[in-house]
Parts: sequence; C-alpha cells; structure tokens
Amino acid sequence: MATPGFAGKILLVNLTNKEIRALDTEKYEQYGGGQGTGTALFWEYCVVPGDWDLQDAFHPKNMVALMTGAVSGTGVPRGARTSVSGLSPQCYPIQWFGHSNFGGMFSTFLKMAGWDGVAVIGRAESPVYINIVDDKVTLEDAKALWGLNSWECQEEIWKRSGIRYGQEWQEIDGRYTLQRPAIVTIGPAGENMTRVASLIHGGGSGAGQGGFGGVFGSKNLKAIAVVGTKGIKIADPKGLKDIEVWYEKNWPSGPGFGGFGPPSVQSACIGCGQFRKCHNRDRAHSQDSDDCAESTFFSLMPEYGIDREAITPINQKGTDIVQQLGINAMETCFMGPMSFDTDHNPDFPIQPKVPAYTALGWYMKKMYDMGVIGPGTKYDMAPLNMKDFATQEFMEIYGLALAKRYGIGDLLAEGTARFAEKLGRTDDFNTLCRLTMWGYQDHWSMPGVDWAYGNLMDSRDINSHDMSFGNPSGGFGGFGGGGKEWTCEDFVKVQAERTTYNDPFWFDFSWEGKQAYKTGVFSKHKAEFVAWRMHYWTYYKESVGFCDWGYAQLFSRSHPKGYGHTPEAEPRYLNAVTGRNHTFEDGLEIGRRAWNLKRAIFTLQGRHKQMENFAGYMYRPGASYCGFSPELPIYDGKKWEWQNCRELFLTREGVDQWKTHFYDIEGWDKDTGYPKRRTLEKLGMKHVADFLKSKNKLG
Amino acid sequence: MAKDKKSVGDKDGKKFSRRDFLVVGGTALAGGALAGYPAKTTATEKENEYAPSTAYLVYDSKHCAGCYSCMLACSLVHEGETNLSLSRIQVHRAVLKKYPFDIEINVCRQCPVPLCVENCPTGACHISVENGNIRMIDSEKCIGCRTCIESCPYIPHRPIWNPVTEKAMKCDLCTDAPYYNKQGGVNGTQACVEACVANALKVVRELPDQTDISGYDRDLQPPRKAMPGFPFGPPKAKSKSETSPDTL
Ligand code: SF4
Ligand code: SF4
Repeated sequence: MATPGFAGKILLVNLTNKEIRALDTEKYEQYGGGQGTGTALFWEYCVVPGDWDLQDAFHPKNMVALMTGAVSGTGVPRGARTSVSGLSPQCYPIQWFGHSNFGGMFSTFLKMAGWDGVAVIGRAESPVYINIVDDKVTLEDAKALWGLNSWECQEEIWKRSGIRYGQEWQEIDGRYTLQRPAIVTIGPAGENMTRVASLIHGGGSGAGQGGFGGVFGSKNLKAIAVVGTKGIKIADPKGLKDIEVWYEKNWPSGPGFGGFGPPSVQSACIGCGQFRKCHNRDRAHSQDSDDCAESTFFSLMPEYGIDREAITPINQKGTDIVQQLGINAMETCFMGPMSFDTDHNPDFPIQPKVPAYTALGWYMKKMYDMGVIGPGTKYDMAPLNMKDFATQEFMEIYGLALAKRYGIGDLLAEGTARFAEKLGRTDDFNTLCRLTMWGYQDHWSMPGVDWAYGNLMDSRDINSHDMSFGNPSGGFGGFGGGGKEWTCEDFVKVQAERTTYNDPFWFDFSWEGKQAYKTGVFSKHKAEFVAWRMHYWTYYKESVGFCDWGYAQLFSRSHPKGYGHTPEAEPRYLNAVTGRNHTFEDGLEIGRRAWNLKRAIFTLQGRHKQMENFAGYMYRPGASYCGFSPELPIYDGKKWEWQNCRELFLTREGVDQWKTHFYDIEGWDKDTGYPKRRTLEKLGMKHVADFLKSKNKLG
Repeated sequence: MAKDKKSVGDKDGKKFSRRDFLVVGGTALAGGALAGYPAKTTATEKENEYAPSTAYLVYDSKHCAGCYSCMLACSLVHEGETNLSLSRIQVHRAVLKKYPFDIEINVCRQCPVPLCVENCPTGACHISVENGNIRMIDSEKCIGCRTCIESCPYIPHRPIWNPVTEKAMKCDLCTDAPYYNKQGGVNGTQACVEACVANALKVVRELPDQTDISGYDRDLQPPRKAMPGFPFGPPKAKSKSETSPDTL
C-alpha cells in the first residue's frame, strides 16, 4: 500500500529499447519525492552502471526525471510544482546534475493517472511522445509534431486525445473525465538541442533553468501528455480541510509575496488557493503566464524605454515567443543593467564598472556595439539585422535564430557563458556578463549572501526567494499587511526561533572586519544557516513540491508575533496528507540525504573544493548592486541594528573560511569537499560511500 | 452516453434556457427518457409540481482562476480523497484560448423542473424537503441505472458517475459530506465556496434567471482591494538621474 499522498508507482521509460516499467515509489520515499527521488533514480540508473562519464547532458544515458511530491494534487496551497532533474546542458563549465521545476497542472494529473513521476532514459530513433492515460502508457509517433511550437503541439495532442473542451464527459475504461491531458512539451529550441531551452506546460508554465528542453530534444522526445481519472488518497481529509481555518486565523493576509504589473484576472497552479498575481488570465502577456521571467525577454530597459511591467504589444509578443519557441527567457533576455536600486535607492546608483543583471540578448548587442561580432569580424550577424534592434520584428527573428540555430543563432544557442568563451572573452564573466557561478546570470544572490552561497554549493542559480531578512518596515521582509515597527533585534529573534535552531547569528550580515568571521557572513553561523536552507530547499521545495513563492517563510507581519508559517505549516500539511508523524526536522533530514546524494554525483562529475569559487566581481565593490533588500541585520559585537548593505562584497579568505565551516557541518572533507563515509552511512547511504570509494572519491 | 441530449440543448449547453427546453424537450424527448411527458404541458404547470430549491450555487467564470481548488475540496469532503473526476463541480481550463473563453464552470443548477428527479425510477434522486428542497441522490436507494445522468439536459451532465460505488452522485451543497467538519447544506457552508480564494463561487437564495447563462454565471467580485506591487509597493516615478544607463 502506497503512503497516502503518493500514487505508489513511478514510470520509467527507456526510449532506446522502448521498455516501459513501473517502479515502486515506496523504495524512494526516503529521498522525499520530487527532486530527491529524481536524484536517487539518477544514481541508480545513470551512475551505478558506470558505463559513461557523466559529462554530456545530451548523452542518451542521461536521465530526465519529472517527479511530483506528496502534496501535489491534494489542495495543499502552493504545492503543485513538478520537479525536473538530470544532467543539465546549461551549466558551465561542467554540465552538472541540475534541476528545475514548473507549476500548472502536470503534477496533479500525473498523480491522478496513478504515477508519482516519470523518468526517461535512452534516445528514440525518431520523434515520439509519451502518452499516459491512467495506467496505460504508450510511445506515440511524434514525427508530425516535430517542428511545431509548444502551443501548436499541445493543441494537436488535445485533438488526438478525443477529449473536447466544453463538451461531454469522456469515458476511460468505465471512468470519466472532462479534463484534456496536461502536456509538457518542447518547442524548436529544445528540438535543436540549444542549451537555453525550456520545458513548456500549458500557456506558460515552464522549467527554464538547466536547459532540459534540449535534453528532451536529444532524446527525440517531443512531449509527455497525461490524463488521469483516479483520486489521491488523503490520510486525514477532515484535518486537511481544517488547516485552511488554522491558516486563515494566523495569517489572514496570506503568505509570501507575488505580483507583477497592473491588476489582472489571476490564474493559478492547481489547488494553489493562495495565489497572488503569479499567473494571470487576461493580461495577454500571456495566458497562464508567470510574467516574472517571461516579460524580461524583450525588456530593453532602460535605454529603449520598454517597461517590462507594461502591457505593450512588444512585451506581449515577447512573452508569447518565449513560450512558443520554448526558450529560457531569463538566460536569453535583453534586460540590460537592471537594478532595483535605480528605482528604490537613489543614493546607490549602479556602480559604473560592474553592471547588474545582464543576459544573452543584452550581451550580444554589447558585443556588436564593441565590434567584437558583426561587420569586419568573423562573426556574421545574419539573420539579425541590427538596424532593426528594439523592434518587434528583430525580437522575433532573434528568437527564431536562437531556437533553430540559424546563423549567429547557432552561437547564441550555446548560452551566455559558452558564447563568451567562443569569442575568447571569459573575462567578461566578471564584468559584462556577471555570471556568479556555473554560467548562471546574477540574480538576487547578494547582499543576501546565503543565496550566493547556495549557488556555489549547488549547480545553478538557486532562485530561492524566501530571503525575508530585510527590514520589514521597508524591505522585502515586510510580507503581509501593516503592523508594528520591528526592531532589528526582535526581528532576528523571530527568524531564529522559526528555524527551530534559535541562533540569531544565522542572520548577521556583518561583512567587514573581525565580526564577519565571528558571527557574520564568513562565520560558522552563516555556514549553518546555509546548510539549513539547502536542506529545507531540497526537501520542502524541490521534493515535496512547495512553491518558492510561499516557502520558506520565517517572518510575517500578518501574524501578531511576526511568525512566518515556517516551521508549522509544512509538517502540518504533510502529515495530514501522508498520515506520517514527521516533525519539521525530520523533513530537513530527508533534505540532507538527497542533498548529500547530489553531492556524491557532483563529486563523480569532477566537483572539487578548488572549483567552488565565485566569479571575481563578487570580491569587489559593486557585488551587491543587483540585489535588493539592502537593509539587513548587523550585529556589531554588542547590539543589533539595520544597516544598508548595498556595499557588501566578499573576500577570498573569508569565503575560504566559510567553506571550511560549511564542509565541516555537512561532513565533507575539508580539503576536497568530497562527502565522508561517516556522513553517508549516517544518512543510510553506505552503498553511495562504497561507490565513491571505488572511484577514489570518498572524503 | 446520453446521445439524445444533443438534440435537446444548445451544443455548448450555455445558451440553453428553460423555455427552450420545455418547448424543444417536450417533443424531442417524447418516447425517449421522458416517455409519456405531455408535449403540451406548460412551463408553469410543470414547475408547480416541484418545490423550488431554497439555495443555488452560482459562479463567476470571468474571475475564476482555474485553480481547481473547488474540485479538490468537493471530492475531499465527500470522498475523502482528491479526485477531479469525482467532483460535483467541474471547472475546465483551456489555457490557450483567449480570456474569457478559457474557463468553463459547470455546476448543478438545482433546476426548477429537475428531470433527474423526475426520471429516477427508484426515487433515489429526490427533492429533499428537510434540506431546503435541494435535489439530492440517496445513495442507498440508487441502483446505478444512470437515468438521472442521462436525463440532465445540460452538457456536460451535472449528476456524475462514481465508478467505485457504481452509483450516481450530484451536488448536494455539502449536505451529506462525511469528511467535512462543518455543517454543510443550504444553511451551512460549502467546501467549494470556502476553498475559492477568487470569490468566484457563492450560494444564493433566489432562483437565478433561467433564461440566460448569466443567471448562474455572474460577477461576484467585492469592491477590489489594491494588490501590493512588486517588490516594494506601487512604482515610484523615476527621475532621469536615478536611471543609470550602462556602464563599461
Ligand atoms: S456545494 Fe458541496 S457538493 Fe456542491 S459542488 Fe460545492 S463542494 Fe461539491
Ligand atoms: S476554486 Fe474558485 S478560482 Fe479556483 S477553479 Fe474553483 S471557482 Fe475557479
């Protein structure tokens, strides 16, 4: 009997030999579902056989795993994510084991068809799609779908499904549904194995980071379609419903943040129930779209005066193009030096030599303006006509060139880091491109520091928006409505209490002098917090399926004591669904297990302590200029106070010190960063320790 | 299933009106599910045979978010599991259609002339006087013949089939919801209404206009509250000097 909340089996499809298998979910529950399960499957099916070098994401032996968590489809608010994992072609220089996730309906439909996830290995001879109708799984010919954009492909599969929108119930083996299949698909960018291709589901739910669209393409896999007519067992249905009341009582103004742009009719992931402008129906950039990333695609701000939050034809078109072609908007966009400080902190304009967030489109234009590419160089700009720059026509051709690898698009399709490398300009990582780590654009990793450290220890921009550490009176931490003013000390105390570890120095952002080493950003305290955060993230968000826009939440103004819903909401929801009696800390421990298993994979791929260094700009003034939340808690040895940390930057010695603490806390070797036998065995992964030992990679 | 229905209602079920039904239905269904139903009966005569429901579930398809929370809640409180196929309210999204044609909501209309009740051979589908005259199915009496389902003049049909119990079920405004800790029914609360954070569902007392889709599908929005802007509140005006163009 499967644990309630889980469907009980996982689908494993080998496209090379067309083998379709059902695996027992129970065996993988110790890894938490979602990404944890995806990591365990990768270990079992891609690492243990030992028959390839784990370097090429487009290798047929790579696995792409789409996994759900216990709360998907149960109506637990903000719990509908589908995790995606496998070697990721976007990571640079090594294509690390990576991951992404997307919202919408897919996870729920998969579970209602009786599957906790679908993992795909191998490569089909010609294009196929996987069709799941309850227990029945077939590989369908997708030759006629190859070349279609993501929306056309979905329309075509819906047609084939025979289920008509707004019509009568469809019978499936004596059961009925009105729902058309949930489909995750790729557009041309994935088919052509670009490194910037997303998976697209519905109008605009997408998994962008990692470039998993290209992995689908490399497997000749166009789409996965699923429709289910079954239910998801809930251990305590009454209790689950009652949590709504408890939640509403304690956090009347809801969780987390959300919202872009002008008022809209909202839409949401399935069962969300706590959405806040993350998707919308009537804003036509675009249906079901998360405007955040997509609308950055052709945001030529500020030079060209296109406001990414405005509803203009060019923004709408840009958003649609991203969805249809299946491009990772964040990586390829035209957003030039962007910094919230231009709007919000006029005292701190962007520091001249170090631009903030920049991306591929913007970088390409810069290279053109500087004469590195274009006329007189060996890089012809065709099919782009740079005279048309900033026009909709230009944007459309740029998208197509990139997705189909036409002309200059072939170079761009490799992503910013490899494009710069090809031009012989890897120094730009530190200046123009601002690639914090592993080829990823800077995001809001600083001055929050723990986001940056997360990127360093993981393989991507962790994109973890739960940093509610800013001064709630004005900053990002001010979730929820009005309420009292918070002293820095009280604020830090609440946060510390809500982690359950009660160490206020986890939130000290002292970055200068001795205090930085004692309690601040290079201290053991910060290392402990980052470890906590990565375990939390690995389990509760990436594996259980809680949405980053609502979790974690350590502080909320909407609660009289300032309590965020972490650490109460997570186990409450999970236990009602699964019937287990897990504590919050039990979940962190599962996260630690999956995190260490991932570390073992990184280790086998070549990760070493020496590689875990930030790009140079992180060690220079200006490192924090693309972030927000500048008012952070600082402890000067005697008292706490809010300080503007816009000038915060790191030092190499400091980061080295921090790493030593971090490895120690994680149980990794201090010289290599390899996990130790004791660590793995304590987590029940002796087999992993033995394997690393056999490869001389045990710490 | 219910093939003859297409000859009864307008294809999308939306424009179907009571008057149309009584005129068209009276003839089209003669000899079918409603054998013996006198073609000449007037609407008023027939309506007087049934006590009207005292509560109706109405919805706002233009403000629904398509989150399906209502469906998950409905199946949760009735069946103890979440199951889109066993929800008595049905929302269906077509995310690639343009607003507002991208969402369909189908609820039981508690019809003034309930053909599900009229045609049930065992009296399982009945008007529950003790529960405010809502049209309910007594599962003890249901023999699983699907007549109520096939009699429903709307597409898709509102009574639904439970393949596990092999019985029909329909919206009871949560009167009989074994996994609901609250008092449901006409004088209580309803799981779907509670679950909807978009204010797109509501139970009303008066009989909705039967001649037009807007009787049930109506604007239910309270006066709008401003949503917080991102990330710090409403955008401030930018002054030129604050907007530093690039750099190198
Ligand atoms: S009122 Fe109750 S029974 Fe009717 S649709 Fe809503 S949740 Fe289901
Ligand atoms: S809960 Fe409300 S917003 Fe969500 S699908 Fe149902 S009616 Fe629409």
